[in-house]
Amino acid sequence: MIELLAHNLAPIIFASLVLFLLLGYPVSFSLAANGLVFFAIGVWLAPWSNGQITLDWALLGNMPRQYWGILSSETLLAIPFFTFMGLILERSGMAEDLLDTIGQLFGPVRGGLAFAVILVGALLAATTGVVAASVIAMGLISLPIMLRHGYDRGIATGVIAASGTLAQIIPPSLVLIVLADQLGVSVGDMYKGALYPGLLLTGLYLGYVALVAVFQPHKVPALPHEARNLGGGVRSLVVVAALGAAIAVATHLLLLPRLDHSSGILGATVGALAVYLYALADRPLRLNLLSVLASRVIMVLMPPLALIFLVLGTIFIGLATPTEGGAMGAVGAMVLAAVKRRFSYDMMHSALTATTRLSAFVLFVLIGAKMFSQTFYGVNGHLWVEELLTAVPGGQYGFLLVINLVIFVLGFFIDFFEIAFILIPLITPAAAALGIDLVWLGVIIGVNLQTSFLTPPFGFALFYLRSVAARVPYLDKVTGQRMDGIRTSQIYRGAVPFICIQVLMIGVVIAAPGLVTHYQGAKVDPATVTIDMPALQPLAPLGGGPVLGTPTIIP
Amino acid sequence: MQAMLALARGIDRATAFVGRSVIWLILLAILISAANAISRKLFDLSSNAFLELQWYLFGGAFMGAAAHVLQQNEHIRIDIFYASRSRRTQHWIDLFGHVVFLLPFASLMAWLLWPYLLQSWHSGQMSGSPGGLAIWPARAILFLGFVLLVAQALSEIVKKIAILRGLITDPHPHLSAQAAIDASALSDSALSDSAPQTRDQP
Repeated sequence: MIELLAHNLAPIIFASLVLFLLLGYPVSFSLAANGLVFFAIGVWLAPWSNGQITLDWALLGNMPRQYWGILSSETLLAIPFFTFMGLILERSGMAEDLLDTIGQLFGPVRGGLAFAVILVGALLAATTGVVAASVIAMGLISLPIMLRHGYDRGIATGVIAASGTLAQIIPPSLVLIVLADQLGVSVGDMYKGALYPGLLLTGLYLGYVALVAVFQPHKVPALPHEARNLGGGVRSLVVVAALGAAIAVATHLLLLPRLDHSSGILGATVGALAVYLYALADRPLRLNLLSVLASRVIMVLMPPLALIFLVLGTIFIGLATPTEGGAMGAVGAMVLAAVKRRFSYDMMHSALTATTRLSAFVLFVLIGAKMFSQTFYGVNGHLWVEELLTAVPGGQYGFLLVINLVIFVLGFFIDFFEIAFILIPLITPAAAALGIDLVWLGVIIGVNLQTSFLTPPFGFALFYLRSVAARVPYLDKVTGQRMDGIRTSQIYRGAVPFICIQVLMIGVVIAAPGLVTHYQGAKVDPATVTIDMPALQPLAPLGGGPVLGTPTIIP
Repeated sequence: MQAMLALARGIDRATAFVGRSVIWLILLAILISAANAISRKLFDLSSNAFLELQWYLFGGAFMGAAAHVLQQNEHIRIDIFYASRSRRTQHWIDLFGHVVFLLPFASLMAWLLWPYLLQSWHSGQMSGSPGGLAIWPARAILFLGFVLLVAQALSEIVKKIAILRGLITDPHPHLSAQAAIDASALSDSALSDSAPQTRDQP
């Protein structure tokens, strides 16, 4: 009996972890206690296990070193920086300005408000890694307008919740930082790998709304032109944007020979800067070539674009590490809030308090997880998991299918932090054994975890939207009409098409690894490289000695 | 019991003071990191001391705040089962967790970290990187964080028993994740409504 226990300790630990966590006591300490209890049991059972259990009281002495590793991690330092940046931005009013202006720009198009929400969602996502900010802003501003003009409630709520979750997959995102830390890859690579999947996902959302606009136009009506109080004048905007793009491409081509990997980013920066400077000069110089709408659009786009350059641009060019990018973004967000006259002591104090609280509970989940994995590895549990996962038929694809299914189901019930800290260390060795690129795996899991923000009943994006959407009938502020409240079931149903798009996207990333693996840069193909070893020189006269040339590599 | 409750109140005051003070360390870390990044690029000037100082500060923030977060009942839970129980059952679950899960773990870790701290203090060990900082303050942060957590666990146990016996009222009732977000969204929108805004145009 005791031997049976000793040989199956790993599955028993795992099963009781589920029970411990379901009890509802804080996750961090339940994890730690589970680890500690089974550590003691493991030490007691070790003699009966034929060496399968390697636990020993002395091993507990490892824990301080494990915590030292958490404390001294440069990667984890990015968590408070990006969280603080997101909280400051949320209170700076940038999202409100963007939604207002971009909404006016696209409003008169069928489905236009939905397009605006998605585009603003993607733009906010590229500046911050926090979901709450964009969902709350969009729920407060865009939802009432969509309802006023007769948008289908499912589409309106689904688009808002889904666009908010883009913050979790488009860099800089907290999910990607945590995943990079747990997978042991660099955050910069993770960001590069997630960029195209994130943009593609934005494209899929836009495509879905376009399809609805074509086939079910009554669900996403166009706004009447009177709803646009900035007037028309799209033509001047298009011309200016085209000129800006031309400048960007020209700069890019000019710089390409000298700075190949950063010329794109610098070109875009120069193009955007040129447009901005022109928009600033237009009125004072009495050129008056820009419409009111065009100059407003340019003005509101500048702060987020500047932040994107400050954070992502510097990381991608290699000027800053992701952690430094986060710190500069946080300073940039404070400057932006100050310029908009929204910066105050209270605002900073509440953002710092929220950041510290989040850091404490996230880092303590990690501290608990370290105690758990110390025990789990001590009973060779990782070998058990690796055997289980590598035994799945279908090699890499079978493995990816299974873990994605597991994470997808877990995502309905638990937070991404717990999934990342408990599950990722367990599956990483199996993934490595199967020859799976870890950044690719990370991005796939990132899209999957992003979905967990959308899945009822515990999807956080749905919570945030629920908290700002009217529950009871209300009077519309503009038309004075009585509007029905939003039912929770409508929010859940609205999320369904977007969850399907997410699942499709997971499939796309699995089927097309190239979307992610371009982060490795141009690969040197070993087949085309010849190493030219110079032959030994004939013996030279005295003093010279044989000269061994350095080998030269000819690609 | 009254003496125990007085002790618990004292512990709460101490951890709350630490928890509220350490938030400024985050701001300091952000400013140092940004300044260090800029000076490194512009003047090729950077030091390992500043790099290490950032994570000392962050460590101080999250280790220092953990006890306060526990006091505020804000450590994250999986509340599928918990949220549907009566408040009394929740108190019993918490009391069980404090005594069986938290207290042994936190005490054991503090006990293990003490010699770890002493060793670096006596040897005057410096970090491996050139120009780095002394190691003992960071180890002291780890140790003190767990000591605060042990103290807070004791305080929570005393308070839970007092609540179950009807001696004091429940200071921080558990909120489900949704209820917590609702509450914070309400206070947030109350804040932003006072600011002048034109959010009702399309």
